[in-house]
Amino acid sequence: MRGIAAAGLVLALLVLAPAYAQQAVTLTAWTIGPDNPSVTRFSNLQAAAERLNADLRREGAGVQVKVEGFFDTTDWDPFLRRVLLAFQGGNPPDIIQASHPLTTTWAAAGYIIALDDQIPRYRQFADVVESLWDAVRYRGKIYGIPQDTEARPLYFNKTLLRQLGWTDQQIAALPQRIVRGEFTWEDVLATAREAVQKKVVESGKGYYHRPRPGPDFLQWYRSFGGRDFDAASGKLVFTREAALRYFRWLRAAVDAGVLERNRLDGDWNRFHQTVTDGKVLFFSGGTWNWAEWEQQWVTRKGGQEWLFANFGFAPHPTWRQGGRPITLSQPQAYMVSSASKNKALAVRLLAYTTVPDLDAKHAVGSAHLPVLKTTARLIGDRFLKEVSYLLTYTSFQPPHPDLPRWNDALFRGVSAVESGQVTPEQAVEVVATEMQRALRDQIIVE
Amino acid sequence: MAESDRIAAQAEAEVAPARVAAGARVARAATPALFLLPAGVLIALFFLVPVATTLYLSLTDISTLTFRQPRWVGLANYRDLLTDPFLPRILLNTVRYVVLTLLFNVGMGLTLAVLTTAVRPGIGNQARALWLLPRILPPVVYVLVWQGISREAPYGLLGILTGSSRGWITSHPWATVVLANGLVGASFGMLIFTSAIRSISPELFYAAAVDGATTWQTVRRVVLPLLRWPILFVTAYQTLSLLTSFEYILLLTDGGPGFYTTTVWSLHAYKLALSNYYGNVQFGLGAAMAAVLVVVGVVVSVVYLRVFNFRQLVGEPRIEVS
Repeated sequence: MRGIAAAGLVLALLVLAPAYAQQAVTLTAWTIGPDNPSVTRFSNLQAAAERLNADLRREGAGVQVKVEGFFDTTDWDPFLRRVLLAFQGGNPPDIIQASHPLTTTWAAAGYIIALDDQIPRYRQFADVVESLWDAVRYRGKIYGIPQDTEARPLYFNKTLLRQLGWTDQQIAALPQRIVRGEFTWEDVLATAREAVQKKVVESGKGYYHRPRPGPDFLQWYRSFGGRDFDAASGKLVFTREAALRYFRWLRAAVDAGVLERNRLDGDWNRFHQTVTDGKVLFFSGGTWNWAEWEQQWVTRKGGQEWLFANFGFAPHPTWRQGGRPITLSQPQAYMVSSASKNKALAVRLLAYTTVPDLDAKHAVGSAHLPVLKTTARLIGDRFLKEVSYLLTYTSFQPPHPDLPRWNDALFRGVSAVESGQVTPEQAVEVVATEMQRALRDQIIVE
Repeated sequence: MAESDRIAAQAEAEVAPARVAAGARVARAATPALFLLPAGVLIALFFLVPVATTLYLSLTDISTLTFRQPRWVGLANYRDLLTDPFLPRILLNTVRYVVLTLLFNVGMGLTLAVLTTAVRPGIGNQARALWLLPRILPPVVYVLVWQGISREAPYGLLGILTGSSRGWITSHPWATVVLANGLVGASFGMLIFTSAIRSISPELFYAAAVDGATTWQTVRRVVLPLLRWPILFVTAYQTLSLLTSFEYILLLTDGGPGFYTTTVWSLHAYKLALSNYYGNVQFGLGAAMAAVLVVVGVVVSVVYLRVFNFRQLVGEPRIEVS
């Protein structure tokens, strides 16, 4: 009897020993929305870790992965500061998720690793939309795994257009007119001016743009014909003529009472509140705003149904008749830090995250666009289906490590014109001088 | 041998008193040095070392991109600052912010202290407690309250009351920044001035009353002259903290609205050195801005000490009141 018990004990130990022998590897991941619905940028990593662990057990690898870290909903600014201090402190997370221009900045600074030799090992990555790899490429090497993408549409309020006398057919045809280049920025201005004059909207609420710095200002500059990158020389570019057109439009919009002189008030809540109260005629935003509005702002009014009944979307118009509209995508990417002790495992975890179901879960939950071809084909969500054609007109920000300074200088010009402190002509000079001062030989002013 | 011993003894005898005297001098110096040591270490750690580090960083091109191999660039950052076409605007904003807020802080603190000590202690204490509320609120919550009050109708309290379709923060950014800061800052002066007024000998008030002084005359001729030292302290302290503080501006207006409308020197330095939407921050340039601020702070302190005649304030009292 005692012999049987001893044998049982030995057997139990033999069975349990491998389980105890599993080495637990903690992978730290820092992620950000800042929009709340994008929490899947973090939770998808945890879900992927469970699947990875099952495979690791099956392989008898003796390793189990645990994902720790956080999802930030504050703002880019404190998040990037925290990441930067961690990089510099020598103890950064293994995985960082951020916008694709950061792959350039951080790659140039040596904080993250190139992933080219790892990517071919995982078939999951072959399903990623090809053009997205361009967004994370710097000097020929890939520094990030695309996590999601989006578009930045021009939204319009259908109810207000109806009050202005537009028929349902006219409203339904608006996106196509923008696509064909028949409805330009001048028409946006004229329509909004009419709405203000007829008191359909309050003064300053004919058109809204974001209240803080962001890549959207580069998008507007581009939609007025501006160039920002010269691929041949790898330098940044500033086109005076296009900037002048853009700044003149801004000035005219402020003078006409279409745009608030103090639109850059830094208050996102005020933007969302006013827009979702149906007080603004045209507004530029991102596809992800749709999910924010649905889940945080119009939930009681009817969520998506209310949004579809009241809001329409189109690419950003062109500045001239017959021109091509545009949109800007700022794909998010997962990056692996060069200080990570588990780089290979981190990339494998990212492969397990880059699968259709998790991709779809994030896309539907946060109104971002999926990164996998399979997901894009199978997804049934109405908004994503209707909005994804915008990607035909999309582009990315240029891969230059000094892009932040270029963006800062352009933003100075925008805020100077809009607040009425300088004329559009002066603002162009302000921006050109500032770019030459800050970027020296890295800028071509044309 | 004997001769050499004699010489040695003589030499020893000559040196000994000097040694004793030197020992006594060391002993005399050691006690104050020992007392000064803790403060000295703190000043070295939290003032001298950071200043030296800041100065060193300001002479390099350290940024996100060059953090691992910063290059020595000499005075290039300072040259950059001087050629920045927006510098005058930011300097002017800084002076405006410091002067207006300081006037509000010290003036309001003084008024509150005089008023709350002139009424019954129960009422005075409650009024002061009320004024302390903004100070004990975390800045973010405090600013949220301001935003809630100042949004346009129908979102903000002021908007609803006045029917204004424009937010107060965007239409009156300077008034908001000064008021929001001042309401918090005034409580500091209020407390210091209150305790100073309380410590004024009651005989002086009795004497003033006997002489038939009115309340205003008592305040003007008795209270204010005796508050010179606390006023110097509060003014100097608040100036220096206002020069470096920007958290309420950051939270209320983020330096806007529009084009550097409320951006002050320290906020600009913070944005250059530590905070940037696009992720590439310029530590070197930010350090140069901080270094300038250190110099300005020292100069301002010296000026204050002169204006208020600090030496006389801390001198021996000429009359002993017992």
